[in-house]
Amino acid sequence: MIYPQNTFSPVVGAMLALERAIPVQPAAVRARALVRARAAVVAGAGSLAAPAARAIPRRWTGGLALACIACAGVGIAAYDLGARANLGVRVQPDMPAVFKLASSRERSPPVSPAVDSYIDAIADMPPVEVEARVAKATAGASPRWSSSTDAVRDELHLLKGARAAVAGEDYAAALFRLDEHARRFRAGRLTEEREALRIKALAGLGRTDEARHAAIAFRARFPHSVLVRPSRHIAESER
Amino acid sequence: MTSEDACLEVFRDEFDYIFRTLQRLGTAPSQADDLVQEVFIALRRSWSEYDRQRPLRPYLFGIALRIVAARRRNRKEAPFLGDSEDVEPSVDEAAEGPLLRTMVLNALQRLPLARRAVFVMHDLDDVPVAEAARVLGMRPFTAYWRLQKARREFAVAIRRVIKEVDGG
Repeated sequence: MIYPQNTFSPVVGAMLALERAIPVQPAAVRARALVRARAAVVAGAGSLAAPAARAIPRRWTGGLALACIACAGVGIAAYDLGARANLGVRVQPDMPAVFKLASSRERSPPVSPAVDSYIDAIADMPPVEVEARVAKATAGASPRWSSSTDAVRDELHLLKGARAAVAGEDYAAALFRLDEHARRFRAGRLTEEREALRIKALAGLGRTDEARHAAIAFRARFPHSVLVRPSRHIAESER
Repeated sequence: MTSEDACLEVFRDEFDYIFRTLQRLGTAPSQADDLVQEVFIALRRSWSEYDRQRPLRPYLFGIALRIVAARRRNRKEAPFLGDSEDVEPSVDEAAEGPLLRTMVLNALQRLPLARRAVFVMHDLDDVPVAEAARVLGMRPFTAYWRLQKARREFAVAIRRVIKEVDGG
């Protein structure tokens, strides 16, 4: 069979030749991906992502979508009724961000009943105090009915948010999430990544001494970590 | 070596290729982290089905393409045009031709995904058309036809990109 001829101009040919060489990604990006891949192996891939290979026949998609919407609607209505009847939750559009976090229904781990009991009381508190009380209330909460796989997924969820906050230079929010992770998963499977992110967050907040101490502790605790080099870089750059 | 170790080794060795392939297929770098993980998970799932006699990269390309296509179907995402400012440049891009590479990526995104896939596999990854057709699940004739059309479209697209960069 005859191959079609490539008839690009020399300029376009040169551009394509440049693009043919695969660029090497930064070490931090690579290390992050490898840590996540290992975590996925530990957790079991089945729970982390839906298979992409097989498509659902189109004739079923409409029906499935309607069924899902109906189920979701019934679920939300039932939850609303239950929540209003039992807890007296009043959803206000201008709630403080921390309050929304505490009452979020999308939050995957089970929220301690103690948090719910605070909801009415803290509606008018300043955000800092709300944050402190929610943190105190959730400190003893453990994922009682979560399997280990769910726990890893929750860990990933928390750390993903922390990483996004670090990327967005919102270091305070990142630290808050990291502290939450530390409270709930003191010896979690992603402790290594958490502590590496903590160093970055502390450095970003200008808390250089704490960042340096955290980096030293990190190297002592995880001497073979692929994240050691970035942590050392941060510690040394802050000197 | 267990299959998980083998997958991790492949993932480590081919990480840059997977990352770039996702970008060539229209994934924004900010989302590439997540999609790279999805590729890894899909690779783990299908590792037992992979024929070790076949080249690895076309197989990885097929996985990446299915994931990108599924993501686009589900979310109707706008394609990434390769001009994001919040992206950390790769090591090579920092040293050489970031603009040219970005222009190529930008032009690629103007091609329909089905034709872009053949074009990227053959003209950038040097995969024979017959092998590309096998991986993409189409007849070789269809792959040839799509490749020819993709080349014409790419030539037009890259001219437009150059014109835009020049301010014309």
